[in-house]
Formats: sequence, C-alpha cells, structure tokens
Amino acid sequence: MHRPSTSPSARSVLFAPLEQTGRAELVARRLVDAITLGVLADGEQLPSEAELAEQFGVSTVTVREALVALRQQGLVQTKRGRGGGSFVCGPREEDDESWRARLREVSLSELRDIGDHYVAVAGAAARLAAERSSTEDIARLQLAAEDLDGAAGTAATRAERQFHLEVAAASQSPRLTHQEIQLQSERGALLWLPLGHHDPVTACTEHRAIAAAIAQADGELARKLTEQHILDTIDRLGEVHLDLLGS
Amino acid sequence: MVHDAVTGEDIVEEVSGIVEGVFGRLAPVVTAATDVLGRPGPVRATELDALRPHVLAALGGRVVGAGFIAAPDALADQRFGFEWWTCTAGGPPAQLFISLDPASDHFLDYTRQSWFTVPRDSGRRHITGPYVDYLCTDEYTLTFTVPVRRAGVFAGVVGADVFVQEVERALLPKLRHLDGRAALINAQGRVIAANTARQATGSLVRDPDIASWWNSGAPPVRDDTTVLLRCGDAPIALLVRKR
Repeated sequence: MHRPSTSPSARSVLFAPLEQTGRAELVARRLVDAITLGVLADGEQLPSEAELAEQFGVSTVTVREALVALRQQGLVQTKRGRGGGSFVCGPREEDDESWRARLREVSLSELRDIGDHYVAVAGAAARLAAERSSTEDIARLQLAAEDLDGAAGTAATRAERQFHLEVAAASQSPRLTHQEIQLQSERGALLWLPLGHHDPVTACTEHRAIAAAIAQADGELARKLTEQHILDTIDRLGEVHLDLLGS
Repeated sequence: MVHDAVTGEDIVEEVSGIVEGVFGRLAPVVTAATDVLGRPGPVRATELDALRPHVLAALGGRVVGAGFIAAPDALADQRFGFEWWTCTAGGPPAQLFISLDPASDHFLDYTRQSWFTVPRDSGRRHITGPYVDYLCTDEYTLTFTVPVRRAGVFAGVVGADVFVQEVERALLPKLRHLDGRAALINAQGRVIAANTARQATGSLVRDPDIASWWNSGAPPVRDDTTVLLRCGDAPIALLVRKR
C-alpha cells in the first residue's frame, strides 16, 4: 500500500543535522522511525547516499553503515543498476495507522507525565529485582532480554513489554507488578511502539545491561539503566510526535 | 498464657501437612488428566472439559486456583491449552482465559515458568514461589504442580495456587513461639514467612548460601548459631538463628 507523501516540514525535522555521537546508529534510528510511522512511505525511494549524508550532516560511510542496519531489519531494499537505489519496505503490520493516530493525539506534557510515572514504577522495580532475584529469576530475565534480539514490529513490542513485566515480577512486589501491567495496558502500546529504538542493537543491549545489573545484585545500576532506557524511549516518542504533527 | 515449647520439627511437620493437603486435593485431577490424555487417538482441547468437576472439587481449603496446563503440542488441535479455574470472592468459580496465540500482543509463554519447567525436567512434583503470579492470581503466590505423562512422555502439569499470606497465617502462630529468628524459605532462600519483620516476605537470604546447601542434598544443620531443616520432599526449609 502506498501512503500519502508527508509534508515538507516533517521531512525537514526528519533530516535535521545530528549530534556527533553514534551517528550511524542515530541515522538508522531516524530512518526506522520514519519508516515505521509512515513518514517515509512503503516503496518510496530514499535519497542517494550522498544526499542523505548531506541532509544528516554526516559522512557517506556513516549513511552506508545505517543502511546496512536497515537492510538487516528488512526495512530497506537496495536495487542495483539503472533505476536502482534504496527503497522503503514499510512494516507489514496492519495497526500501523492506529499508532500514528495515537502518537499524534498525545501531548508532550502527557508523554512527560507517563514517563515520570513509568520511571518511578519500573526504576523501583528494577532496584528491588536486583536485591531479590534468585538464580531462577535471573535466568528468566536473561531469556526475556534475548527475546528482543533481532525482533521487529509487534514481536519487538511484545518482547519489550514482557521484559519489563519480568523485571516487575522479580521485584516480588504484586503492587509494582500491577502498576507495570496497568501502565502497559493503558499506554504500553504507545510506550513501546516498535520505533527505531527497537533496532536489535540498542534495545536488546539495554535489556541485557539491565539484566546483568540485576544478576550482579547492583540495585542502583539496575535502577539507573532502567530509568535511562525509559526516558530515552519517551524522548524519542516526543520527537516522533513532533514529526507527525508536521504530517 | 503458657505455651508448650515449639520445636523446628513441629514447624516442619506443619509445613508438610499443608503441602500434602494441597497435593492431596490435586490427586483426583492428576488421575483424571492422565485418563483423558491416555485415550487412544488424538486428544482435542474440548476433551479437557472432562477435568472440570475434578478441578472444581480441588478448589477450597487454601487452594484459590487449580487446573491442568498442557505441554506444547500435547493436544491435537492446538499448540497450547489449559483448563484452569479460580475461586472468586463470594461468587461461583471462574474459568481463566489467557491468550494462547503466540502472535497475540498479550501472549505469555508459560513454558518458561518454573511451575511448568521443573516438573517437566525433573519428572517430580514441585512448589514454585513465592512469586508474583502475573498470569493468573496477580498475587504473591505459591504454585503446586505435578507432572502428567502420556505414554511415558511429559504432557503437562496439574497445579494449584495458594496465596503466600494464607500460608503465613497458618504458620505464624507456631513460628512466633519458636525460640530464635525463624524464617520459612524456599530452595533459593526466598522468605515465605518469618517470625521477624526484619526478614521481609520475598526477600532473599544470602547468608548462609541456601542454593548451595540445597544442591548438596540439604543435610540438616544444627550448630550453635543456626538450625536449617528441610520440610519433607518440598523445596521448602526452615531456617532458625539463635538470638
């Protein structure tokens, strides 16, 4: 299916220059978000590597690296020869439209509030999980962290939710677990949208790090990593929300 | 009010009584599940309905939920399946429905849960928890499970849920009259009930290393500072530290 092309302003946000850190990853994330949310339409041809490099303010090597990551996730196809180039393969899931609608509706102030609440619940749960996890719990958490490896779309969302549910349960607190479930059912579909955050590299690495901190019984680290993981997600949702307003 | 001195053995006996009571309620369900699965030819999910009267009879006492949970592909017409019922406050028992579709957003893979994996891998009955049971009770729970086989192959578990707070209520009168700081713990050292608030329910005892002690066969420990006794064949022990 071909989506209506988006407005110039959404594109200017999308192609705004990036900071200097982990740039290939950032380029990849921006593009994943754009494809997932339909800012870049299924079948659409991406600008050339040189053009992308210029728009993002990075080197062509960086762009090439980002495109490799996107190809691995099946979000971009590269055709050789005349009429060749990189083409967007839109996500296969049908509920794509409803995510966009939901994320367009939400306000930045509500996103911030959801983030604060979630950080309080999930951060506290992670600290307690580190204090109270048995070998069995740790094994289950590590399995749940690996679920995100290479997952995309709704599988990634499910893996993300399942991991945080396992951490909450490992806190041994039914109340915190209820809160986690409630936040997930109210806002989880929004919170863990399979955006670029879910490239196998980043989200999975973060989950592994949280699981490792819990395995080492390092409550403060587990809390800090969990808070950062959620705040990053919220920040990026905010960015995507602003992108969508332009479309 | 004068009490007879309570010994560690008294507590162990009481715990074993509770444990055998729960497994006793499950015995008819195990028999029925074995019968249903033992029928010749493919067994369909609807045939689990035959377990219902036995499951409902198992509810009560301290059992707040009970049923049968199939191993993947034990049923002919669906990969996952179960027949599980829970007590409700003042109402009739309710059947539990959870998503069995791996593609669903709400699917939870129960084959990773200890109450499923331990009986599967050991071939023996098991008590899981204390743990937050987010699949069913949503409470702090102990889950008792027994493996069910079909032609010698693991085909699922029959199980019962008991709230940790009910076990605590049952044991606390005796625990409080035990001399010393006493905690009932599971095989990982997780506290089920204690006679001191300093040993929070669900916290882990890290010293002594309970898991190692358990792996070495859980021999009784009785020295100047510590008593450590296993409760029958259950993965539960009594830890007492002299004051």
